Amino acid sequence: MKQTNAPDGLEPLKDLDLSGLPSRPRSIYPAVRLNIRGRSVSLRGLRRPPGGLLRWLVILGPGLITSAAGNDAGGIATYSSAGARFGYDLIWVMTLITVSLAVVQEMCARLGAATGRGLLDLIRERFGIGWALLAMGVLFVANGGVIVTEFMGIGAAAELLGLPKLLVVPLAAIILWYLIIFGSYGWVEKVFLVMTLVFFAYPVAAVLARPDWSEVARGALVPTLQLDQEYLFLLVGLLGTTISPFMLFFQQSSTVERGVARRHYGPERLDAHTGAIFSNLIAVTMIIVTAATLYQAGQTHIETAADAALALEPFAGAAATTLFGVGLLGASLLAGAVLPLTTAYAVSEVFGMPKGVNLDFRRAPIFFGLFTGMILFGTGLALVPDLPVIQWLVAVQVLNGVLLPILLLFILRLINDRRLMGPLKNSRLYNILGWGTFALITVAVVVMLGGQVISFLR
Amino acid sequence: MAMLSDLLRFRVADAHGRTARLADLAISLLDTDYPLVTHLVYGQNQNTEGVLPWHAVRGIDRAKRLVEVENFDNAQDVDSLGQAVRLRWDVLDALILDLRNRRVTRANDLWLEEKDKQLRLSAADTSARAILRRIARGWYRGVDRRALYDWKYIEFLRGDPRAVKAGAVYHRRIIHLPPGEIAQLSAAMPYLHAAELLELLPEQLAADTLEVMSLERQLQVFEELDEKRALQVLRFMAPDLAADLVGHLDTETALQYLNRLPRESGERIVDLLRYPENTVGGIMTNDVVIVSPTLKVGEARQVLREKLKGPDFVYFLYVVEDEAPHKLHGVISLRQFLMAEDDQTIEELMNPYLITLSPLDSPRVAAYKLLNSQLAAMPVIGAERQLLGTVTIDAAISQVAPLSWRAQAPRIFS
Repeated sequence: MKQTNAPDGLEPLKDLDLSGLPSRPRSIYPAVRLNIRGRSVSLRGLRRPPGGLLRWLVILGPGLITSAAGNDAGGIATYSSAGARFGYDLIWVMTLITVSLAVVQEMCARLGAATGRGLLDLIRERFGIGWALLAMGVLFVANGGVIVTEFMGIGAAAELLGLPKLLVVPLAAIILWYLIIFGSYGWVEKVFLVMTLVFFAYPVAAVLARPDWSEVARGALVPTLQLDQEYLFLLVGLLGTTISPFMLFFQQSSTVERGVARRHYGPERLDAHTGAIFSNLIAVTMIIVTAATLYQAGQTHIETAADAALALEPFAGAAATTLFGVGLLGASLLAGAVLPLTTAYAVSEVFGMPKGVNLDFRRAPIFFGLFTGMILFGTGLALVPDLPVIQWLVAVQVLNGVLLPILLLFILRLINDRRLMGPLKNSRLYNILGWGTFALITVAVVVMLGGQVISFLR
Repeated sequence: MAMLSDLLRFRVADAHGRTARLADLAISLLDTDYPLVTHLVYGQNQNTEGVLPWHAVRGIDRAKRLVEVENFDNAQDVDSLGQAVRLRWDVLDALILDLRNRRVTRANDLWLEEKDKQLRLSAADTSARAILRRIARGWYRGVDRRALYDWKYIEFLRGDPRAVKAGAVYHRRIIHLPPGEIAQLSAAMPYLHAAELLELLPEQLAADTLEVMSLERQLQVFEELDEKRALQVLRFMAPDLAADLVGHLDTETALQYLNRLPRESGERIVDLLRYPENTVGGIMTNDVVIVSPTLKVGEARQVLREKLKGPDFVYFLYVVEDEAPHKLHGVISLRQFLMAEDDQTIEELMNPYLITLSPLDSPRVAAYKLLNSQLAAMPVIGAERQLLGTVTIDAAISQVAPLSWRAQAPRIFS
């Protein structure tokens, strides 16, 4: 019979012999020795920052998710189209935009950390309700377009995996909706994130496809400008999909949600930069792979997701389609969750209404209404039969690119406001890079729109 | 009666016929229910703005949409406004706390009341119509009176925790709310606003409010507090919650606070921090009422009168030897203590049959033990039978309740 002498209320406490009970915590709990008022005490209740590799993993957060969601259905379509149509010629845009993405994402994280507020919120407080409504309009148009592409992506992925699209898309929408409202969002997000790891197949495929590396280097470093309508269209699309408006909002509000105190701002910088580099590395290899396979083979137009999947053949052979399908599904689901959340969050915030996934429909009707509405809208349009999927995907990215300068302008003005930012104000280098990005995108958009107008008048 | 958005489209004219745009209105005394407008700001942009005191205003001509003032030459610089609050720059579009409805909302417009040539801020408009009115620039004038919220019940925050120390004036009506409601309100604000709110509450209330927030939020807000205020708040917090908070700060900051806290409360927290987070020691509190076994009840009542003021948890009195190592003998419930005769001894009154916990037990197992027993608390003792602290029912519930529930679980005994 197992006997313990732990007090269990059956004998008076006085009569018990407790000497057998453990008196010190087992040594598996690390203790921190501190000198408090001249007395050395060993404390095991202090949380010690994780060391080594774990430390880096803990830092990675909003930036990584934002970037992974950035390589969504629209991203894949645009990168693949660029590679298939123009080979290595457009890679230089990606070289430039990687720096821009890192800078812009970091600025949004910093805005969030310094003010504890979202982007629309700040725009309203600094520039007034009119500008806030304009920015909100931009967000609505951009995100409305993108949400449709995400569900299209889910549909395309389903077809690649041999599942009926008409069943999978509504099902995915319902599951997404349910998980976010009733489930644990953090856990769901991680599953989607892991699914997008499939895209690391692209760098491998890029090597296996044996591209002409000297051509790649030329494409990456020497800007070539063709005044061709399609070239400019895809260029703006690349800008728009790499720095999507929703990413800016999401980066900022998730930094706020994470609760970074101003005093400890710093690791987020690394997070934003790594995220940008990771996602663009994959984007560039997507272009290389499609250039080395489809472009070389003379298939310069991508019509369906199955065409885009072919690019993975040198790496995965017959499994290319499945692999591509899983990655596309993960990225689309991740972005499909992030987008409606970001929109609902920002809009509720600007009107001062209750928000957050931990509330319920009754307490935050606008927040959940918007969230549900966005998902319904996306699912509905994505199910319209015979839509030219790839064209729609690319067109939405171009629209994002056109709207982007408006938001950048707000961000750059806010981040240089000393009263708001204090010591976290933009440095000169960041200002040069930030305004440079703004100029690059604005010029590209103006040239493209100008070209469109001219060709229309002819 | 006038809407700020409408007034801001008025022009300002002086006796010499010079005119300028009305840029802003300033109020100074936010600690009154309906603050008076004390200054007006005019001018085209930030560089050419001038400030005139409100007594320089001769009248408001509604038909001509003019504010008539004496002389622009007497104007002062905008910097002369100091801590005064500017209605357009600071309040309009900012977060406000609607205390009546217990919600955080935004000032879409402000309602000013005119009386004896004086303007008073009397309500905030939070309706969608106010937004429409502002965008329509005078083409639409609809007012939803139900959406006008009396300024008396509105707390305005600047979003800067340092403002409190810099001498900014607040309404402070919020201090009449219970700490739980204040924490609930603050959960809907950016953390800088929440920190500002904590700065302006009285110490004890600030500590109680911080206690009810979620740990992530506590850390966020705590790190924004002024150092002196942070120390005060730690001192007034229940030691177990203070220990949780300090345990999550980075080591250097934690050390700094532990060294600077008053000896007694500092040592309480240090004693709790000896145990890892995932043990009974990590969830217990050591702020308990103890009493010596040899006393008569009457004497004990005298002794305890002072001691009962401090701790949050007074439902049990723990009977503990006077000499080290202060062995635990038994427990008396407060009710028994109140009902007892004065000449009974504590030893006769107490219950010596105790179920106790060890500080190194698993907190989940301990929580179920406590919940099954339906007691309000269970003592935690060391190997020498010395009393280390007690695990209260709230701490037990927060161990076993589902995650989504924990934030809302009541904290009666902290």
